[in-house]
Amino acid sequence: MKPTGILFFPAFDWAISPTHPEREERLLYTRDQVFEEGIMDLPQIREYKPSIAGLKDIARVHFCVPDIESQITEAHLVAVGSALTIGDAVMQGEVKNGFAIIRPPGHHSMTVSHGNRGFCNINNEPIMIEYLRKKYGIKKVAIVDTDVHHGDGTQEIYYDDPDVLFISFHQDGRTLYPGSGFMDELGGPLAYGTTINVPLAPRTTDTGILYVLDNLVKPLLEEFKPDLVVNSAGQDNHYSDPLANMAFSAQGYARLNSKLAPDIAVLEGGYSVETALPYINMGIIMAMAGIDYSNLREPDYSPTRFRESSSNLEAIKKTVETQLAVFRRRGDTIAANRKKGGDFYKTHKHIFYDTEYIHEEQVVQLRLCPKCSGFRMINSSAQHPNGKFYRVFCISIPVNACEECQQQGRSYYKDMVNNGKFNFVYLQDRIKDEYKSMDMGTETERVL
Amino acid sequence: MLIGIDVGGTYTDGVLYEGSSIVSSVKRPTDETNLKNSLLQVLDELVGSGEKDKLKRVVLSTTLVTNLLATRRGERTALLLLPGHGLPQQVYATGPDTYFLKGGVDFRGRVIEPPDKNEIRDVLKEVESLGIKRVAVAAKFANRNNEHEKLIRKIIEEEYPDISVVISSEISCKLNFPRRAVTAYFTAMTLKEWNRFADDIEQALKERDVEAEIHILKADGGTIPLSVSRKKPYETVFSGPAASTMGAVALTRDNLNSVVLDIGGTTTDISLIIGGQPLYASRGAHIEGRYTHINALAVKSIPLGGDSIVWCEWYANGDSAIRVGPHRKGAAACFGGEQPTVTDVFNYNLDLKLGKPELSKAKLEELAQKVRLSTVDLCDNIVEMVIDHLADAVEDMFKEWENEPAYKVWEIIHGRKFRLDRLIGIGAAAEAIIPLVAKKMNVDHFIHKYSPVANALGACVVRPTLAVEVHVDTENNFFTVDPGGYRKSLGKTGNFQLSDAKELAQKYLKEIGQERGMGEYINEFQFYMEEQFNVIKGWHRAGKLFDIGVQVSPGFINEYRGVDA
Repeated sequence: MKPTGILFFPAFDWAISPTHPEREERLLYTRDQVFEEGIMDLPQIREYKPSIAGLKDIARVHFCVPDIESQITEAHLVAVGSALTIGDAVMQGEVKNGFAIIRPPGHHSMTVSHGNRGFCNINNEPIMIEYLRKKYGIKKVAIVDTDVHHGDGTQEIYYDDPDVLFISFHQDGRTLYPGSGFMDELGGPLAYGTTINVPLAPRTTDTGILYVLDNLVKPLLEEFKPDLVVNSAGQDNHYSDPLANMAFSAQGYARLNSKLAPDIAVLEGGYSVETALPYINMGIIMAMAGIDYSNLREPDYSPTRFRESSSNLEAIKKTVETQLAVFRRRGDTIAANRKKGGDFYKTHKHIFYDTEYIHEEQVVQLRLCPKCSGFRMINSSAQHPNGKFYRVFCISIPVNACEECQQQGRSYYKDMVNNGKFNFVYLQDRIKDEYKSMDMGTETERVL
Repeated sequence: MLIGIDVGGTYTDGVLYEGSSIVSSVKRPTDETNLKNSLLQVLDELVGSGEKDKLKRVVLSTTLVTNLLATRRGERTALLLLPGHGLPQQVYATGPDTYFLKGGVDFRGRVIEPPDKNEIRDVLKEVESLGIKRVAVAAKFANRNNEHEKLIRKIIEEEYPDISVVISSEISCKLNFPRRAVTAYFTAMTLKEWNRFADDIEQALKERDVEAEIHILKADGGTIPLSVSRKKPYETVFSGPAASTMGAVALTRDNLNSVVLDIGGTTTDISLIIGGQPLYASRGAHIEGRYTHINALAVKSIPLGGDSIVWCEWYANGDSAIRVGPHRKGAAACFGGEQPTVTDVFNYNLDLKLGKPELSKAKLEELAQKVRLSTVDLCDNIVEMVIDHLADAVEDMFKEWENEPAYKVWEIIHGRKFRLDRLIGIGAAAEAIIPLVAKKMNVDHFIHKYSPVANALGACVVRPTLAVEVHVDTENNFFTVDPGGYRKSLGKTGNFQLSDAKELAQKYLKEIGQERGMGEYINEFQFYMEEQFNVIKGWHRAGKLFDIGVQVSPGFINEYRGVDA
């Protein structure tokens, strides 16, 4: 039996600010617990060393404004690099599955990054997934986001990609940051049904969450048949988390991972650094490695402490039923959307960056391609904390784009460079694996 | 005048050092059934060649404890574990007499579950009824709070005075419960035998009127006084490879990056020297399939030595392949062995004139005929296989070091890269083999005329070592000290800073160093770990946590001035 790969990168020398939840101490007690247990010495575990990602890996997913260097620290490069290392270890068959216990987190970062949102600057999982898709030719991927906060960044990145199934269950957006992840967010017109949200009422317990797993997540995965399953493994559904209000336990997280059996798990949020994280991380490692976790529990845990209310369970059942139906009729819905015709599908967005108080305005255009799922263009503008105002134009050609979309995307890049209205024009060409950015001020182009 | 003796598996080596030269050296076969005699025989020869009253220090390196553990001849020992919640308890079972008890502590040293005295008494009753006289006790997070371990020890001391007990927190305060438990278990197991050996040695030296200090070589390449080793027999395991590595450092005395290859009869031991300092094993010594908290040099042993046989493997389809090792079947053909060996190949190929070279030639010709090759081609092939194997093992060794996990951004960004400067050959077969491996790897090599006894020289001239780690928790107002497992109140916690934590660690280093008779060497310390974390409750700082490590690292005594070439 192959071991489980663990990459533990606590970034003991990185924090957003000294008393911020995302600080040096966050994984300290996890380190203490995991190392004291001696689990890394077991033959079922293989520990990996963190590595450093390249800028190109980031450019494959993000348009960082004005450039990648100004949106990241070295810690981000190591966190992303670590996810890539675990991805490689799994894809090359060195391990049966892998867990990257890394920080800083990433799942609130969207395609365009003007700054830090919800503790995130760049998004670890999509960067890893696009890297693996390019390197190993994987097509279909499922991401299950188990963080208590809606994974709005990951959702946005894959909103128009029908080959990536994004499932997020989280505390209802009306009661918690980032205030999204409602049931009607189901994907773009040509990728409808491969974004599935399950908002849950505060104080939902193990029973409720595991019900969603058994009755929605598992059937979705069976029908979607992904080549790779990634768990965006936030740990803040825990009953002791200071930033949220759910009632999930370490046992619950372990059982969730046994049932889900992800190929790769990547740590996201979770800020109960002393009373939850050490035990949840142990639980996930043990579940992934197939080690009996019945002896694992938090010091203050009691199995009778939290009871799921029957009304909440009824509400969850309804949500599950609705979302399952949406997913199953996605083919018809997409076909109908295509029939409606039109060249581009246009949406307007306002995005707020809570960490740095940035307000971004976006106009997104998706080509309604008759053959593929189209390519995206984002016209984005925002004032940065340093006072500079940026207006940028971004073109993203996905891995599954058809010839026509590729050509159109590339020629739009030239047009927009000539247009002269923008500070920066970016082209993300995942087919050629080439990433261009044109600084209109200095008229210099950078190609990664 | 200084003496170093390394009792190895095959040979016992000794040197007598004075001024700046090796006055005499001795190599005798080891009698595995009587290590003491092998040691004393070499000691007598060395003492006989010098003036006894000028002898200042004798350092011994012995496989006694390693052998006791490997052959499971240690005393029957019960292991009492308090694993609390987490991994399944059974994962931690070690040996046939493991017992699990209630009681739990968390990473901040807070008691989660108290122990059950009735349960403890029931287990002790059973232990006594089985006639077991040794007990090791280990609790998870006893490194942060050892009150449960101490309670059990107290009950044993009061109610079963003839049972002796070792508690894990006094052995080590490093994180990793199973390693701590195993180390405590091995300590309890070997304590009696080791003390008997120490008595014998003291007695023997008394009979010989030798008044020199007696020290024991540790796995970390440093020494401790024989008297201190009586409580810590585990420190003496794997001292042989440490002796060789330190011998290589003693012969080179510079700041280069080297790989040491100690080519013995059955195995080659490979170790790393980085900037003149030997590398520690990151997970501690690995004994009988278990990781421990024994600080040891990183030594990789591969089954290829001078006596490894060369042979031919036949397949069902009639094809054949030449093989080297991994087995040893007695001596090389040139020394009267039945089968040709690696030594015979080099003897023939390089005309080394070892033993009876015509016997090497005869056995190799026999093999060459079987595989339808000329003897020259056969030997060339084998030489190449040996060289490739060693070169690969050397590369693996430093790749492993480069790939060791790290937990800070700084460490990753400033990654490790090992630029190999040189191979150092140790052992009798080194002279023939090492230059070829170095050539293949395109690096320099170093072989000294004292390479064959470098291990004994290493033991002879290394200084004492000591590492002290202090964990401070200002919110809960305590600190712990390793070694010793002390847990004390901090007193004032108001404005406790990193500098205070470092001062505390330094204070204990000096205290413990004094107890161990480290003398002036205690002043040559350096900090190897400085961790500082704020404990935040809500959005405010509730306290600080510090982990400080300070050590006197491996080096040489002041009397050592190198060896005349």
